[in-house]
Amino acid sequence: MSETHNFSAGVADWREQLRLNSRRTFWVIVLFVLLYTAVGLLIDLFIHASGYTQAFAVSGYQNYSVAQPNLEEIFISLVTFKIIPWATLIMLGVALISLWITYSLYNQIMLLGTKYEEVTAESTSLEAKQLYNVIEEMKVAAGMKYMPKVFIINANYMNAFASGYSEKSAMVAITRGLMTKLTRAELQAVMAHELSHIRHGDIRLTLTASVLSNLMLMMIDILFYNMIFSGRRRNEGGRNTNILFLIIVIARFVLPIISILLLLYLSRTREYMADAGCVELQRDNGPLISALMKIHQDHQTHAAQYAREYGSTAHENVRRESYIYDPVLMGIENSRGPSDWFSTHPNLEKRLEALGYKDKIV
Amino acid sequence: MSGFIILLVIIAILIIGFISIYNRLIRYIEAVRNNQKQIDIQLDRRYKVFQSLIEVVKKYMDYEQTTLKDVVKLRGQAEAAKESGNEQGRIDAENAISKIASGINVVFEQYPNLKASQNALQLQEEIVNTENKLAFAKQAYNDSIERYNAEKKSFIQSFIVSLARGKLDQSFVYWNIPEETIKTQENYTVKM
Repeated sequence: MSETHNFSAGVADWREQLRLNSRRTFWVIVLFVLLYTAVGLLIDLFIHASGYTQAFAVSGYQNYSVAQPNLEEIFISLVTFKIIPWATLIMLGVALISLWITYSLYNQIMLLGTKYEEVTAESTSLEAKQLYNVIEEMKVAAGMKYMPKVFIINANYMNAFASGYSEKSAMVAITRGLMTKLTRAELQAVMAHELSHIRHGDIRLTLTASVLSNLMLMMIDILFYNMIFSGRRRNEGGRNTNILFLIIVIARFVLPIISILLLLYLSRTREYMADAGCVELQRDNGPLISALMKIHQDHQTHAAQYAREYGSTAHENVRRESYIYDPVLMGIENSRGPSDWFSTHPNLEKRLEALGYKDKIV
Repeated sequence: MSGFIILLVIIAILIIGFISIYNRLIRYIEAVRNNQKQIDIQLDRRYKVFQSLIEVVKKYMDYEQTTLKDVVKLRGQAEAAKESGNEQGRIDAENAISKIASGINVVFEQYPNLKASQNALQLQEEIVNTENKLAFAKQAYNDSIERYNAEKKSFIQSFIVSLARGKLDQSFVYWNIPEETIKTQENYTVKM
Protein backbone atom coordinates (compact mmCIF):
# COMPACT_ATOMS: atom_id res chain seq x y z
CA MET A 1 0.00 0.00 0.00
CA SER A 2 2.90 2.34 0.59
CA GLU A 3 4.14 2.31 -2.99
CA THR A 4 2.23 5.36 -4.14
CA HIS A 5 4.50 6.06 -7.04
CA ASN A 6 5.28 2.50 -7.92
CA PHE A 7 2.99 2.02 -10.88
CA SER A 8 3.25 1.97 -14.61
CA ALA A 9 0.48 4.01 -16.15
CA GLY A 10 -0.71 2.74 -19.49
CA VAL A 11 -2.36 4.89 -22.09
CA ALA A 12 -5.81 6.26 -21.34
CA ASP A 13 -8.04 6.58 -24.35
CA TRP A 14 -9.88 9.66 -23.17
CA ARG A 15 -11.65 10.19 -26.47
CA GLU A 16 -13.27 6.77 -26.24
CA GLN A 17 -14.12 7.25 -22.56
CA LEU A 18 -15.79 10.58 -23.30
CA ARG A 19 -17.81 9.16 -26.17
CA LEU A 20 -18.89 6.06 -24.27
CA ASN A 21 -20.02 7.98 -21.23
CA SER A 22 -21.80 10.76 -23.04
CA ARG A 23 -23.81 8.07 -24.83
CA ARG A 24 -24.70 6.56 -21.45
CA THR A 25 -25.72 9.97 -20.14
CA PHE A 26 -27.94 10.55 -23.14
CA TRP A 27 -29.91 7.38 -22.49
CA VAL A 28 -30.22 8.07 -18.80
CA ILE A 29 -31.64 11.52 -19.53
CA VAL A 30 -34.03 10.17 -22.17
CA LEU A 31 -35.25 7.58 -19.66
CA PHE A 32 -35.74 10.26 -17.03
CA VAL A 33 -37.78 12.52 -19.27
CA LEU A 34 -39.88 9.55 -20.38
CA LEU A 35 -40.50 8.46 -16.81
CA TYR A 36 -41.41 11.98 -15.77
CA THR A 37 -43.89 12.38 -18.62
CA ALA A 38 -45.26 8.92 -17.92
CA VAL A 39 -46.04 9.89 -14.34
CA GLY A 40 -47.73 13.05 -15.60
CA LEU A 41 -49.84 11.05 -18.04
CA LEU A 42 -50.69 8.58 -15.32
CA ILE A 43 -52.13 11.42 -13.25
CA ASP A 44 -54.08 12.67 -16.26
CA LEU A 45 -55.39 9.18 -16.91
CA PHE A 46 -56.43 8.85 -13.31
CA ILE A 47 -58.26 12.18 -13.34
CA HIS A 48 -60.04 11.46 -16.57
CA ALA A 49 -60.84 7.84 -15.83
CA SER A 50 -62.45 8.70 -12.50
CA GLY A 51 -64.05 11.82 -14.05
CA TYR A 52 -65.72 9.79 -16.74
CA THR A 53 -66.98 7.18 -14.38
CA GLN A 54 -68.53 9.86 -12.22
CA ALA A 55 -70.18 11.56 -15.16
CA PHE A 56 -71.63 8.31 -16.39
CA ALA A 57 -72.68 7.19 -12.98
CA VAL A 58 -74.89 10.26 -12.77
CA SER A 59 -76.37 9.83 -16.23
CA GLY A 60 -77.63 6.40 -15.39
CA TYR A 61 -76.22 3.03 -14.53
CA GLN A 62 -77.83 0.98 -17.28
CA ASN A 63 -75.92 2.38 -20.30
CA TYR A 64 -72.77 2.74 -18.18
CA SER A 65 -70.85 -0.14 -19.65
CA VAL A 66 -71.65 0.90 -23.21
CA ALA A 67 -70.47 4.50 -22.97
CA GLN A 68 -67.43 4.01 -20.78
CA PRO A 69 -64.29 4.81 -22.77
CA ASN A 70 -61.49 2.43 -22.00
CA LEU A 71 -58.03 3.44 -20.82
CA GLU A 72 -56.43 3.13 -24.25
CA GLU A 73 -58.86 5.61 -25.73
CA ILE A 74 -58.23 8.17 -23.00
CA PHE A 75 -54.49 7.61 -23.32
CA ILE A 76 -54.55 8.12 -27.10
CA SER A 77 -56.61 11.29 -26.88
CA LEU A 78 -54.23 12.62 -24.19
CA VAL A 79 -51.10 11.93 -26.22
CA THR A 80 -52.60 13.42 -29.39
CA PHE A 81 -53.73 16.49 -27.39
CA LYS A 82 -57.42 15.85 -28.09
CA ILE A 83 -57.77 16.13 -24.35
CA ILE A 84 -55.21 18.58 -23.02
CA PRO A 85 -53.01 16.70 -20.52
CA TRP A 86 -53.12 19.43 -17.87
CA ALA A 87 -51.44 17.44 -15.13
CA THR A 88 -48.46 16.65 -17.36
CA LEU A 89 -48.12 20.27 -18.46
CA ILE A 90 -48.42 21.58 -14.89
CA MET A 91 -45.82 19.09 -13.75
CA LEU A 92 -43.40 20.30 -16.42
CA GLY A 93 -44.03 23.89 -15.30
CA VAL A 94 -43.39 23.00 -11.66
CA ALA A 95 -40.17 21.25 -12.71
CA LEU A 96 -38.92 24.36 -14.54
CA ILE A 97 -39.65 26.67 -11.60
CA SER A 98 -38.04 24.42 -9.02
CA LEU A 99 -34.99 23.96 -11.25
CA TRP A 100 -34.62 27.71 -11.55
CA ILE A 101 -34.79 28.16 -7.77
CA THR A 102 -32.31 25.34 -7.19
CA TYR A 103 -29.80 26.73 -9.68
CA SER A 104 -29.87 30.21 -8.20
CA LEU A 105 -29.27 28.98 -4.65
CA TYR A 106 -26.88 26.15 -5.33
CA ASN A 107 -23.46 27.80 -4.89
CA GLN A 108 -24.33 29.07 -1.42
CA ILE A 109 -25.71 25.68 -0.46
CA MET A 110 -22.53 23.92 -1.52
CA LEU A 111 -20.28 25.81 0.89
CA LEU A 112 -22.69 25.53 3.84
CA GLY A 113 -21.08 24.58 7.10
CA THR A 114 -17.45 24.86 6.02
CA LYS A 115 -14.80 27.40 6.92
CA TYR A 116 -13.59 28.72 3.62
CA GLU A 117 -11.60 31.55 2.07
CA GLU A 118 -11.52 32.78 -1.49
CA VAL A 119 -8.36 32.74 -3.58
CA THR A 120 -7.85 35.41 -6.24
CA ALA A 121 -5.08 36.43 -8.61
CA GLU A 122 -3.91 38.88 -5.94
CA SER A 123 -3.33 36.24 -3.26
CA THR A 124 0.26 36.53 -2.09
CA SER A 125 1.10 33.25 -0.40
CA LEU A 126 3.01 30.83 -2.59
CA GLU A 127 0.51 28.01 -2.04
CA ALA A 128 -2.53 30.06 -2.96
CA LYS A 129 -0.70 31.52 -5.93
CA GLN A 130 0.24 28.06 -7.14
CA LEU A 131 -3.34 26.83 -6.80
CA TYR A 132 -4.64 29.78 -8.77
CA ASN A 133 -1.95 29.35 -11.45
CA VAL A 134 -2.68 25.65 -11.82
CA ILE A 135 -6.39 26.34 -12.34
CA GLU A 136 -5.65 29.13 -14.78
CA GLU A 137 -3.42 26.81 -16.80
CA MET A 138 -6.20 24.23 -17.02
CA LYS A 139 -8.63 26.96 -17.99
CA VAL A 140 -6.34 27.89 -20.88
CA ALA A 141 -6.04 24.24 -21.90
CA ALA A 142 -9.82 23.81 -21.85
CA GLY A 143 -10.36 27.03 -23.78
CA MET A 144 -12.87 28.15 -21.17
CA LYS A 145 -14.07 31.73 -21.30
CA TYR A 146 -14.43 32.37 -17.58
CA MET A 147 -12.22 31.72 -14.62
CA PRO A 148 -14.20 29.95 -11.89
CA LYS A 149 -14.17 31.27 -8.34
CA VAL A 150 -11.65 29.42 -6.22
CA PHE A 151 -12.15 28.56 -2.57
CA ILE A 152 -9.94 26.87 -0.02
CA ILE A 153 -11.79 24.95 2.67
CA ASN A 154 -9.92 24.79 5.95
CA ALA A 155 -10.05 21.07 6.61
CA ASN A 156 -7.46 18.32 6.95
CA TYR A 157 -9.13 15.70 4.80
CA MET A 158 -8.21 15.57 1.13
CA ASN A 159 -11.11 16.45 -1.15
CA ALA A 160 -12.30 18.90 -3.77
CA PHE A 161 -15.51 19.70 -5.62
CA ALA A 162 -16.93 21.94 -8.32
CA SER A 163 -20.28 23.65 -8.51
CA GLY A 164 -22.15 26.11 -10.64
CA TYR A 165 -24.93 26.36 -13.14
CA SER A 166 -22.74 27.51 -16.03
CA GLU A 167 -19.12 28.34 -16.78
CA LYS A 168 -19.82 31.91 -15.79
CA SER A 169 -21.12 31.19 -12.30
CA ALA A 170 -18.85 28.23 -11.61
CA MET A 171 -16.71 27.67 -8.56
CA VAL A 172 -14.18 25.10 -7.42
CA ALA A 173 -13.30 24.37 -3.82
CA ILE A 174 -10.41 22.39 -2.41
CA THR A 175 -9.52 21.43 1.12
CA ARG A 176 -6.27 22.62 2.63
CA GLY A 177 -5.29 19.02 3.27
CA LEU A 178 -5.44 18.21 -0.43
CA MET A 179 -3.59 21.36 -1.36
CA THR A 180 -0.62 20.71 0.91
CA LYS A 181 -0.23 16.97 0.35
CA LEU A 182 -0.19 16.88 -3.46
CA THR A 183 2.56 17.83 -5.88
CA ARG A 184 1.95 20.55 -8.43
CA ALA A 185 1.12 18.06 -11.21
CA GLU A 186 -1.26 16.10 -8.98
CA LEU A 187 -2.96 19.28 -7.85
CA GLN A 188 -3.34 20.19 -11.50
CA ALA A 189 -4.90 16.80 -12.23
CA VAL A 190 -7.48 17.24 -9.46
CA MET A 191 -8.32 20.73 -10.67
CA ALA A 192 -8.57 19.48 -14.28
CA HIS A 193 -11.07 16.87 -13.05
CA GLU A 194 -13.14 19.60 -11.39
CA LEU A 195 -12.94 21.94 -14.40
CA SER A 196 -14.06 19.03 -16.57
CA HIS A 197 -17.16 18.70 -14.39
CA ILE A 198 -17.81 22.38 -15.10
CA ARG A 199 -17.25 22.29 -18.84
CA HIS A 200 -19.24 19.07 -19.26
CA GLY A 201 -22.15 20.77 -17.48
CA ASP A 202 -22.29 17.98 -14.91
CA ILE A 203 -23.57 20.04 -12.03
CA ARG A 204 -26.51 21.25 -14.07
CA LEU A 205 -27.18 17.76 -15.35
CA THR A 206 -27.14 15.88 -12.06
CA LEU A 207 -29.14 18.63 -10.36
CA THR A 208 -31.77 18.53 -13.07
CA ALA A 209 -32.02 14.78 -12.83
CA SER A 210 -32.33 14.79 -9.05
CA VAL A 211 -34.92 17.59 -9.01
CA LEU A 212 -36.96 15.73 -11.63
CA SER A 213 -36.76 12.47 -9.71
CA ASN A 214 -37.78 14.14 -6.44
CA LEU A 215 -40.77 15.80 -8.07
CA MET A 216 -41.73 12.58 -9.79
CA LEU A 217 -41.68 10.62 -6.54
CA MET A 218 -43.68 13.34 -4.81
CA MET A 219 -46.36 13.20 -7.48
CA ILE A 220 -46.65 9.45 -7.45
CA ASP A 221 -46.94 9.57 -3.66
CA ILE A 222 -49.77 12.10 -3.84
CA LEU A 223 -51.49 9.99 -6.44
CA PHE A 224 -51.06 6.85 -4.38
CA TYR A 225 -52.51 8.29 -1.19
CA ASN A 226 -55.30 9.97 -3.10
CA MET A 227 -56.16 6.60 -4.54
CA ILE A 228 -56.13 4.86 -1.18
CA PHE A 229 -58.25 7.43 0.62
CA SER A 230 -60.78 7.67 -2.16
CA GLY A 231 -60.85 3.89 -2.25
CA ARG A 232 -64.61 3.61 -1.67
CA ARG A 233 -65.33 4.93 -5.10
CA ARG A 234 -63.08 2.38 -6.70
CA ASN A 235 -65.77 -0.24 -6.69
CA GLU A 236 -67.94 1.96 -8.86
CA GLY A 237 -65.20 2.49 -11.40
CA GLY A 238 -64.96 -1.12 -12.46
CA ARG A 239 -62.11 -2.54 -14.50
CA ASN A 240 -60.57 0.80 -15.59
CA THR A 241 -59.67 2.08 -12.17
CA ASN A 242 -58.64 -1.34 -11.01
CA ILE A 243 -55.95 -1.46 -13.67
CA LEU A 244 -54.91 2.11 -12.85
CA PHE A 245 -54.80 1.25 -9.17
CA LEU A 246 -52.48 -1.64 -9.89
CA ILE A 247 -50.19 0.52 -12.07
CA ILE A 248 -50.01 3.23 -9.43
CA VAL A 249 -49.24 0.80 -6.62
CA ILE A 250 -46.45 -0.80 -8.64
CA ALA A 251 -45.08 2.59 -9.69
CA ARG A 252 -45.18 3.80 -6.08
CA PHE A 253 -42.79 1.03 -5.03
CA VAL A 254 -40.68 0.56 -8.15
CA LEU A 255 -40.09 4.16 -9.26
CA PRO A 256 -38.04 5.21 -6.21
CA ILE A 257 -35.64 2.33 -6.77
CA ILE A 258 -35.41 2.94 -10.51
CA SER A 259 -34.84 6.65 -10.13
CA ILE A 260 -32.16 6.27 -7.46
CA LEU A 261 -30.34 3.66 -9.57
CA LEU A 262 -30.52 5.95 -12.58
CA LEU A 263 -29.29 8.95 -10.60
CA LEU A 264 -26.34 7.05 -9.22
CA TYR A 265 -25.52 5.55 -12.60
CA LEU A 266 -25.58 9.05 -14.06
CA SER A 267 -23.31 10.34 -11.32
CA ARG A 268 -20.80 7.53 -11.92
CA THR A 269 -20.76 8.10 -15.68
CA ARG A 270 -20.05 11.77 -15.11
CA GLU A 271 -17.16 10.87 -12.81
CA TYR A 272 -15.63 8.71 -15.54
CA MET A 273 -16.10 11.56 -17.98
CA ALA A 274 -14.44 14.06 -15.67
CA ASP A 275 -11.51 11.69 -15.24
CA ALA A 276 -11.23 11.35 -19.02
CA GLY A 277 -11.56 15.13 -19.38
CA CYS A 278 -8.69 15.55 -16.96
CA VAL A 279 -6.48 13.35 -19.13
CA GLU A 280 -7.64 15.32 -22.16
CA LEU A 281 -6.45 18.57 -20.59
CA GLN A 282 -3.24 17.30 -19.07
CA ARG A 283 -2.37 14.78 -21.82
CA ASP A 284 -1.06 12.62 -19.02
CA ASN A 285 -2.85 10.11 -16.81
CA GLY A 286 -0.04 9.65 -14.30
CA PRO A 287 -0.81 12.63 -12.07
CA LEU A 288 -4.51 11.83 -11.64
CA ILE A 289 -3.76 8.17 -10.91
CA SER A 290 -1.23 9.03 -8.25
CA ALA A 291 -3.44 11.78 -6.83
CA LEU A 292 -6.40 9.41 -6.50
CA MET A 293 -4.22 6.77 -4.87
CA LYS A 294 -2.75 9.32 -2.47
CA ILE A 295 -6.19 10.58 -1.53
CA HIS A 296 -7.42 7.05 -1.04
CA GLN A 297 -4.46 5.99 1.09
CA ASP A 298 -4.65 9.15 3.10
CA HIS A 299 -8.31 8.49 3.81
CA GLN A 300 -7.45 4.99 4.97
CA THR A 301 -4.60 5.92 7.26
CA HIS A 302 -6.60 8.73 8.85
CA ALA A 303 -9.96 6.97 8.61
CA ALA A 304 -11.06 7.58 12.18
CA GLN A 305 -9.89 11.19 12.29
CA TYR A 306 -11.48 12.07 8.94
CA ALA A 307 -14.72 10.31 9.80
CA ARG A 308 -14.89 12.58 12.84
CA GLU A 309 -14.08 15.68 10.79
CA TYR A 310 -16.54 14.88 8.01
CA GLY A 311 -19.09 14.15 10.71
CA SER A 312 -18.53 17.42 12.54
CA THR A 313 -18.86 19.51 9.37
CA ALA A 314 -22.45 20.52 8.95
CA HIS A 315 -24.35 19.78 5.73
CA GLU A 316 -21.70 17.39 4.49
CA ASN A 317 -24.28 15.36 2.57
CA VAL A 318 -24.92 18.13 0.02
CA ARG A 319 -21.30 17.89 -1.11
CA ARG A 320 -20.95 14.14 -1.02
CA GLU A 321 -21.94 13.57 -4.62
CA SER A 322 -19.73 16.37 -5.91
CA TYR A 323 -16.52 15.41 -4.15
CA ILE A 324 -13.74 14.00 -6.28
CA TYR A 325 -13.44 11.21 -3.73
CA ASP A 326 -16.54 9.93 -2.00
CA PRO A 327 -15.74 9.67 1.73
CA VAL A 328 -18.33 6.92 2.07
CA LEU A 329 -16.09 4.76 -0.13
CA MET A 330 -13.49 4.66 2.62
CA GLY A 331 -14.68 1.31 3.91
CA ILE A 332 -16.13 -0.55 0.97
CA GLU A 333 -13.89 0.41 -1.90
CA ASN A 334 -12.92 -3.09 -2.93
CA SER A 335 -16.33 -4.66 -3.23
CA ARG A 336 -17.52 -5.24 -6.73
CA GLY A 337 -21.02 -6.07 -7.81
CA PRO A 338 -24.35 -4.77 -6.54
CA SER A 339 -22.90 -2.50 -3.85
CA ASP A 340 -21.36 -0.48 -6.67
CA TRP A 341 -24.82 0.16 -8.10
CA PHE A 342 -25.64 2.17 -5.00
CA SER A 343 -22.68 4.51 -5.01
CA THR A 344 -22.23 7.95 -6.49
CA HIS A 345 -18.67 7.23 -7.58
CA PRO A 346 -17.25 4.23 -9.40
CA ASN A 347 -14.92 2.33 -7.10
CA LEU A 348 -11.29 3.29 -7.22
CA GLU A 349 -10.22 0.14 -9.00
CA LYS A 350 -12.60 0.74 -11.91
CA ARG A 351 -11.65 4.39 -12.08
CA LEU A 352 -7.96 3.55 -12.27
CA GLU A 353 -8.70 0.88 -14.84
CA ALA A 354 -10.53 3.40 -17.02
CA LEU A 355 -7.56 5.72 -16.62
CA GLY A 356 -5.33 3.03 -18.08
CA TYR A 357 -3.82 1.70 -14.89
CA LYS A 358 -3.53 -2.07 -14.98
CA ASP A 359 -1.79 -3.20 -11.80
CA LYS A 360 -4.06 -4.22 -8.96
CA ILE A 361 -2.28 -3.44 -5.77
CA VAL A 362 -5.04 -1.20 -4.45
CA MET B 1 -53.84 16.75 -46.22
CA SER B 2 -51.96 14.70 -43.65
CA GLY B 3 -49.36 13.84 -46.29
CA PHE B 4 -48.80 17.55 -46.81
CA ILE B 5 -48.31 18.07 -43.07
CA ILE B 6 -45.79 15.22 -42.92
CA LEU B 7 -43.91 16.77 -45.83
CA LEU B 8 -43.86 20.13 -44.04
CA VAL B 9 -42.55 18.54 -40.86
CA ILE B 10 -39.78 16.77 -42.77
CA ILE B 11 -38.76 20.00 -44.48
CA ALA B 12 -38.77 21.84 -41.16
CA ILE B 13 -36.56 19.16 -39.59
CA LEU B 14 -34.15 19.36 -42.53
CA ILE B 15 -33.93 23.14 -42.29
CA ILE B 16 -33.36 23.07 -38.53
CA GLY B 17 -30.70 20.39 -39.00
CA PHE B 18 -28.99 22.43 -41.69
CA ILE B 19 -28.99 25.59 -39.59
CA SER B 20 -27.65 23.86 -36.49
CA ILE B 21 -24.81 22.20 -38.41
CA TYR B 22 -23.96 25.47 -40.14
CA ASN B 23 -23.92 27.37 -36.87
CA ARG B 24 -21.86 24.74 -35.12
CA LEU B 25 -19.22 24.82 -37.86
CA ILE B 26 -19.07 28.61 -37.64
CA ARG B 27 -18.68 28.35 -33.85
CA TYR B 28 -15.84 25.87 -34.24
CA ILE B 29 -14.07 28.04 -36.81
CA GLU B 30 -14.21 31.06 -34.52
CA ALA B 31 -13.01 28.95 -31.60
CA VAL B 32 -9.97 27.93 -33.65
CA ARG B 33 -9.24 31.56 -34.51
CA ASN B 34 -9.59 32.64 -30.90
CA ASN B 35 -7.34 29.83 -29.70
CA GLN B 36 -4.76 30.81 -32.29
CA LYS B 37 -4.69 34.31 -30.86
CA GLN B 38 -4.50 32.85 -27.38
CA ILE B 39 -1.05 31.54 -28.29
CA ASP B 40 -0.01 35.10 -29.20
CA ILE B 41 -1.43 36.34 -25.92
CA GLN B 42 0.60 33.80 -23.98
CA LEU B 43 3.75 34.58 -25.95
CA ASP B 44 3.23 38.25 -25.18
CA ARG B 45 2.63 37.44 -21.53
CA ARG B 46 5.79 35.35 -21.35
CA TYR B 47 7.84 38.17 -22.85
CA LYS B 48 6.49 40.70 -20.37
CA VAL B 49 6.73 38.47 -17.32
CA PHE B 50 10.28 37.42 -18.08
CA GLN B 51 11.33 40.99 -18.84
CA SER B 52 10.03 42.21 -15.51
CA LEU B 53 11.60 39.26 -13.71
CA ILE B 54 14.92 40.07 -15.34
CA GLU B 55 14.56 43.73 -14.36
CA VAL B 56 13.94 42.83 -10.74
CA VAL B 57 16.86 40.43 -10.62
CA LYS B 58 19.16 42.92 -12.35
CA LYS B 59 18.33 45.73 -9.98
CA TYR B 60 18.73 43.40 -7.07
CA MET B 61 22.09 42.17 -8.33
CA ASP B 62 23.36 45.67 -9.17
CA TYR B 63 22.41 46.84 -5.78
CA GLU B 64 23.97 43.83 -4.13
CA GLN B 65 27.22 44.23 -6.03
CA THR B 66 27.70 47.91 -5.22
CA THR B 67 26.58 47.44 -1.63
CA LEU B 68 28.89 44.48 -1.26
CA LYS B 69 31.80 46.65 -2.40
CA ASP B 70 30.71 49.44 -0.05
CA VAL B 71 30.37 47.06 2.86
CA VAL B 72 33.80 45.55 2.22
CA LYS B 73 35.34 49.02 2.03
CA LEU B 74 33.62 50.22 5.22
CA ARG B 75 34.55 47.00 6.96
CA GLY B 76 38.18 47.68 6.04
CA GLN B 77 37.93 51.24 7.35
CA ALA B 78 36.40 50.03 10.57
CA GLU B 79 39.16 47.44 11.03
CA ALA B 80 41.83 50.04 10.32
CA ALA B 81 40.26 52.54 12.71
CA LYS B 82 40.05 49.90 15.40
CA GLU B 83 43.75 49.05 15.02
CA SER B 84 44.82 52.69 15.08
CA GLY B 85 42.58 53.34 18.11
CA ASN B 86 40.39 55.78 16.19
CA GLU B 87 37.12 54.91 17.97
CA GLN B 88 35.04 57.65 16.29
CA GLY B 89 36.17 56.52 12.82
CA ARG B 90 35.19 52.94 13.65
CA ILE B 91 31.73 53.98 14.89
CA ASP B 92 31.18 56.06 11.77
CA ALA B 93 32.07 53.13 9.54
CA GLU B 94 29.85 50.69 11.45
CA ASN B 95 26.95 53.18 11.30
CA ALA B 96 27.41 53.50 7.56
CA ILE B 97 27.15 49.69 7.27
CA SER B 98 23.92 49.72 9.31
CA LYS B 99 22.52 52.31 6.98
CA ILE B 100 23.26 50.10 3.99
CA ALA B 101 21.55 47.17 5.72
CA SER B 102 18.37 49.17 6.22
CA GLY B 103 18.65 50.26 2.60
CA ILE B 104 18.69 46.61 1.56
CA ASN B 105 15.50 46.10 3.51
CA VAL B 106 13.90 48.95 1.59
CA VAL B 107 14.83 47.24 -1.66
CA PHE B 108 13.40 43.98 -0.40
CA GLU B 109 10.18 45.71 0.48
CA GLN B 110 9.99 47.09 -3.04
CA TYR B 111 10.29 43.57 -4.40
CA PRO B 112 8.39 41.36 -2.00
CA ASN B 113 9.15 38.39 -4.22
CA LEU B 114 12.77 38.63 -3.16
CA LYS B 115 12.03 39.08 0.50
CA ALA B 116 11.47 35.61 1.84
CA SER B 117 13.68 32.59 1.53
CA GLN B 118 10.92 31.39 -0.77
CA ASN B 119 11.98 33.81 -3.48
CA ALA B 120 13.58 31.08 -5.56
CA LEU B 121 10.39 29.00 -5.30
CA GLN B 122 8.23 31.96 -6.27
CA LEU B 123 10.43 32.65 -9.26
CA GLN B 124 10.31 29.01 -10.29
CA GLU B 125 6.51 28.94 -9.93
CA GLU B 126 6.19 32.04 -12.09
CA ILE B 127 8.36 30.56 -14.83
CA VAL B 128 6.64 27.14 -14.77
CA ASN B 129 3.23 28.81 -14.84
CA THR B 130 4.16 30.98 -17.80
CA GLU B 131 5.62 28.13 -19.82
CA ASN B 132 2.70 25.83 -19.00
CA LYS B 133 0.16 28.40 -20.09
CA LEU B 134 1.92 28.78 -23.41
CA ALA B 135 2.05 25.02 -23.94
CA PHE B 136 -1.60 24.56 -22.95
CA ALA B 137 -2.63 27.38 -25.26
CA LYS B 138 -0.97 25.54 -28.14
CA GLN B 139 -2.69 22.32 -27.07
CA ALA B 140 -6.08 24.05 -26.91
CA TYR B 141 -5.47 25.43 -30.40
CA ASN B 142 -4.76 21.98 -31.80
CA ASP B 143 -7.75 20.51 -29.96
CA SER B 144 -10.08 23.05 -31.50
CA ILE B 145 -8.69 22.29 -34.97
CA GLU B 146 -9.28 18.59 -34.32
CA ARG B 147 -12.88 19.25 -33.29
CA TYR B 148 -13.50 21.43 -36.34
CA ASN B 149 -11.88 19.05 -38.82
CA ALA B 150 -13.72 16.04 -37.45
CA GLU B 151 -17.01 17.88 -37.70
CA LYS B 152 -16.31 19.22 -41.16
CA LYS B 153 -15.33 15.86 -42.60
CA SER B 154 -18.20 13.91 -40.98
CA PHE B 155 -20.79 12.31 -43.19
CA ILE B 156 -23.73 14.69 -43.42
CA GLN B 157 -21.72 17.75 -42.43
CA SER B 158 -19.34 17.32 -45.36
CA PHE B 159 -22.32 17.64 -47.68
CA ILE B 160 -23.41 20.90 -46.10
CA VAL B 161 -19.82 22.19 -46.22
CA SER B 162 -19.78 21.53 -49.95
CA LEU B 163 -22.82 23.80 -50.28
CA ALA B 164 -21.11 26.76 -48.59
CA ARG B 165 -17.41 26.21 -49.12
CA GLY B 166 -16.47 29.87 -48.84
CA LYS B 167 -17.70 30.17 -45.29
CA LEU B 168 -17.47 26.68 -43.86
CA ASP B 169 -14.38 25.18 -45.48
CA GLN B 170 -11.34 26.61 -43.76
CA SER B 171 -8.03 24.86 -43.51
CA PHE B 172 -6.03 25.37 -40.36
CA VAL B 173 -2.53 24.11 -39.79
CA TYR B 174 -1.89 22.29 -36.52
CA TRP B 175 0.68 24.01 -34.36
CA ASN B 176 3.85 21.98 -34.81
CA ILE B 177 7.60 22.33 -34.93
CA PRO B 178 9.60 21.93 -38.13
CA GLU B 179 11.06 18.55 -39.09
CA GLU B 180 14.70 19.56 -38.43
CA THR B 181 13.90 20.85 -34.98
CA ILE B 182 12.17 17.59 -34.15
CA LYS B 183 15.29 15.69 -35.25
CA THR B 184 17.64 17.71 -33.10
CA GLN B 185 15.28 17.64 -30.13
CA GLU B 186 14.85 13.89 -30.40
CA ASN B 187 18.59 13.38 -30.33
CA TYR B 188 19.01 15.77 -27.43
CA THR B 189 20.60 14.38 -24.32
CA VAL B 190 21.58 16.22 -21.18
CA LYS B 191 25.29 16.94 -21.14
CA MET B 192 26.82 17.71 -17.79
